[in-house]
Amino acid sequence: MLAQVLFSGVALGSLYGLVALGFATVFKATEVFNFAQGMLAVCGAYFASAALSTFDWPFPAAVAFMAAASAGLGVAIYGVLIQPLSGRSMLAVIMVTIALSIVLHSAIEIVFGSQGRTLVTPLPTGVLTWGSLRISELHLTAAAVAWVCMGLFAAFFRFTSLGLLMRATADSHEAALVSGVNVNAMNRLAWAIGSLLAAIGGLFLGQLQIVSTDLESIGLLALPAVVIGGLQSIPGAIVGGVLVGVIEQLAAFYIAPESTEIVIYALLLLILLVRPWGLFGERELGRV
Amino acid sequence: MSDASALVAVRARSPVWRRLVRVALGVGLLAVALYLPFVLTDRAAFGYRLSNVQLLNLGLSQIDLMLIAMLGALSLNFLTGCAGLISIGHAAFYATGAMTAAIVGSLWGWPFPVALLAAALMGAIAGVLAGLPSLRVRGLYFVLSTLAVHHVVAYIFLQVQVRWFDVSGVPYNPAALGGFALNTPLRWYFFLLAAVALVYWGLRNSLDTREGRAMRAMRDHELAAQASGVDVRVLRLKAFALSSAIASSAGATQAYFMTNISSEAFGLDFAIQFIAMIIIGGLGSLTGSLFGAAIWLLLPSVIAGFAPQGAGAVAALVAAHKPQLVQLIFGLLVIVLLIFAPGGVASLGRRLGALLAPRGPR
Amino acid sequence: MRNKLSVMTLGAFALSAVFSGAPLAQEAPDDGVYKDRVDWGLLMDMSGPTSASQGVWVTGFQDYMSVLNEGGGVSGRKVNVLAEDNRFNAATDKIAFEKLVGQTPVIAISGMGSSASQVGLAATIKAGKVPIVGTYTPTKALSEPVSPMVYNGFCGYKQMAQAGVGFYVDKLKLKAPKVMTVAIETAGGKDYATFVAEAAARYGGTASAVTMKVTAIDVTPQVQQIMAEKPDFITIYGVENTSILTMKALAQYGVDIPAFGITYLGSPSVFKALGPKAGGNYTFISCFTPGGSEPSPGDASLNAGAAKTGHAALAANINYVAGWVAGQLAAQSLAKAGPDLTRARLVETLAPGFTVDTQGLSAPIVYTKDDHTGPQVLKMFGYDYDAGKFKPFGAYDDYAKYTK
Repeated sequence: MLAQVLFSGVALGSLYGLVALGFATVFKATEVFNFAQGMLAVCGAYFASAALSTFDWPFPAAVAFMAAASAGLGVAIYGVLIQPLSGRSMLAVIMVTIALSIVLHSAIEIVFGSQGRTLVTPLPTGVLTWGSLRISELHLTAAAVAWVCMGLFAAFFRFTSLGLLMRATADSHEAALVSGVNVNAMNRLAWAIGSLLAAIGGLFLGQLQIVSTDLESIGLLALPAVVIGGLQSIPGAIVGGVLVGVIEQLAAFYIAPESTEIVIYALLLLILLVRPWGLFGERELGRV
Repeated sequence: MSDASALVAVRARSPVWRRLVRVALGVGLLAVALYLPFVLTDRAAFGYRLSNVQLLNLGLSQIDLMLIAMLGALSLNFLTGCAGLISIGHAAFYATGAMTAAIVGSLWGWPFPVALLAAALMGAIAGVLAGLPSLRVRGLYFVLSTLAVHHVVAYIFLQVQVRWFDVSGVPYNPAALGGFALNTPLRWYFFLLAAVALVYWGLRNSLDTREGRAMRAMRDHELAAQASGVDVRVLRLKAFALSSAIASSAGATQAYFMTNISSEAFGLDFAIQFIAMIIIGGLGSLTGSLFGAAIWLLLPSVIAGFAPQGAGAVAALVAAHKPQLVQLIFGLLVIVLLIFAPGGVASLGRRLGALLAPRGPR
Repeated sequence: MRNKLSVMTLGAFALSAVFSGAPLAQEAPDDGVYKDRVDWGLLMDMSGPTSASQGVWVTGFQDYMSVLNEGGGVSGRKVNVLAEDNRFNAATDKIAFEKLVGQTPVIAISGMGSSASQVGLAATIKAGKVPIVGTYTPTKALSEPVSPMVYNGFCGYKQMAQAGVGFYVDKLKLKAPKVMTVAIETAGGKDYATFVAEAAARYGGTASAVTMKVTAIDVTPQVQQIMAEKPDFITIYGVENTSILTMKALAQYGVDIPAFGITYLGSPSVFKALGPKAGGNYTFISCFTPGGSEPSPGDASLNAGAAKTGHAALAANINYVAGWVAGQLAAQSLAKAGPDLTRARLVETLAPGFTVDTQGLSAPIVYTKDDHTGPQVLKMFGYDYDAGKFKPFGAYDDYAKYTK
């Protein structure tokens, strides 16, 4: 019934919000539309799977490895692919991220094979009963972790000097350069954060189902989430993600499961026509 | 003053040998284009048998599909590179064309040319509709609206397929131009070659007209163009209508070529491939789009054709992961191309031209 | 600048030298038959979303052939497998098909994992010269009417529905069974739901269906509907995720309804991901016997072959077994055609009918002149979590009555 569907929508939406937040961070800092965000989530899941199953490390060590590896991957991508193309047309950079997702996809399939892998983690898999509501502990954990991460990063961007510096740099590269800020370092940090957030989302997704390159599709849902929330807004990405999750589940329940995509994209179209800067974004002015 | 006049003098009379070379090149290209399909069908040139590797692991149907994709790349480059409107929804117009052809050709039984015209018309209408958001939003937001349009059209195609046709795919009648039945890859090749040439020259010429120049002004600096008296809104919709009409006809053509289309064919990969083609080819360069389409569609096959045969550790590794390796190498090549030539093949071509033909006085 | 020009010219010459140095084509027989080898083609999705199952099928086929070739091949010829990747793309399918027919000719093709392209190529195949021996998914367009050019190599959805529904009706002793189908929103899913409804009607029961997206991450709405309708048992059609998500959600909501998946959903990774609690209620219907679940000569050679090629982990995967059996089908048909091999000769040999002996990996596969359906007897398998392998429910003969 409604409460059950709503809850699962919020849990799912929290994961979308996490991936969307990573997407928004990267976009805000370097203005790159990262089509490879879904693959970064997949990479995170595979890093975790490798650490847990292949190397047989304990869970905390595996998570630390996943965090370090995905952050490193983000930095490497920025240094090798994005930085050389700075100043080029947006489409060229988008194309590079598309090619990157192809490369990552095939590299993962070569190293790990195309079979799905099960994640063996100590994450709780039981069920909590609350009245007539049955809540999966895994969903709850995923949502909780997602919200904690999002809260931490939101606080980071708002209250710490480094975070404020990143936002300032994103708002105006020239001003930052003039003030002596190492813009490249800020961008590297943004990509590391974006990749890390995607990886955490990938870890939970892999636990909810199975670790395979199919998880890539979550990157596509991050798009409407970010747009509905506001492309340049950090809290917007979070809210957008949760909204997309809830709407998706409600549409699946009340209309039909195959209608979810069309409902979300129709909503996207509506928002773009009525309020293109999203719920939390800011209007942009044009100058000649 | 003397420099300018010297420049004019140099440009007005390019040396005879250069013009001869250009004519010879054109004739040579035409000859290759006309003889190529026979080479690919017989797997032999002038009676001399060629191996699969020497033919770059290519087949005639592959070339035909590439020609159809060229139509899409040309029309998208017209829209994006020349008129400045970025669209990820180009595949949606292919779907529109396929749908129209299904209804007009398969349901109502009209012949192939009629279906093509109907597809072009519906495409133009759909293009105008898809372009309407551009009156309201710009840049990245518009790109996203085209993505939304893509999903909406793909959904409509699925519904049409399921309700009015077979659940496993929409069937199409055999194509024929009057009495000339298009039933072999060879016949299709010549039809498609003519179509691509027609579209190419048509778009090229339209860019040289007053409206074409106005479009390029709109691409370069919209507010300035508007200030100069260009009706940007009408121009944008016109660009969309033309580009989508071409894409829609191409979609109908592909549907007839494949004889059966399922909605799964219109996924996001299909939409993105056109963007890939025009970027690899070079934004704004129609010739570049032709190369972009060729590279994007043919390169994976060419790479796969070079796989080492026989025994040995390397060959075994390649054989075990061949499809993934092909994709990996392909992606890496695209990345390398984009980093060293972000302007695509067109910019490489320009650099090559500058190398071979030094300009006048510096 | 002149140096650059000369470098480029030299480069062009070098390239053309490489090309002309490439091995010239022998007088390549157009049927793919050579003195010491015969080329056999595979058309499957080896990359893309379906590659997890189809790629494994290819591996099974290739492994069978490598073991066969080590033993000397068939009629003195080794079987050279040319596997083409369809990349989940109908256009690539068409191109790959033409490649196997004309560019790198093969004597026959197996696989064809995409139903859309089967429909598109059906007319060409039936009118052409290259037989399809052992399909991966049967489609109506290719299988009906029966053609001497097409032989199915995998159980059809109709048979899966009939055998599965029949098994549970008998097991749970149901009078008017209420069945629910959980399917992904594709053409095959709708077909399967129809077959399940027909099968349920045979026993005086009813059926309903609920769909989900292939890329779904959560199935709460679907499970809510299941809970509302309270079926006697469920059947699942889709990819591995479909089973995993559905069964996990059912366990989460405390719904104790047994479920069976189609043959393609019988891989150890699905059961391992479910765990004993959710996986205890899950079985799958299959015409092939997963490696290690039932001893037989075929099972022994399958496990030995898989271990030799380093794919021991795949032996229990139903797609691997299916590919292996397809290899048996190919080898036995080549053997039957004899040393004087051409495409036409192969078709002549197979058209009147033949039987494939899989040595215990399935019920005997019988093709007759009028029936090319292939494997038609299926049985139910579950997973023994303590032993870590699959366990069959009964013998194939017990199930023959369901798919008569």
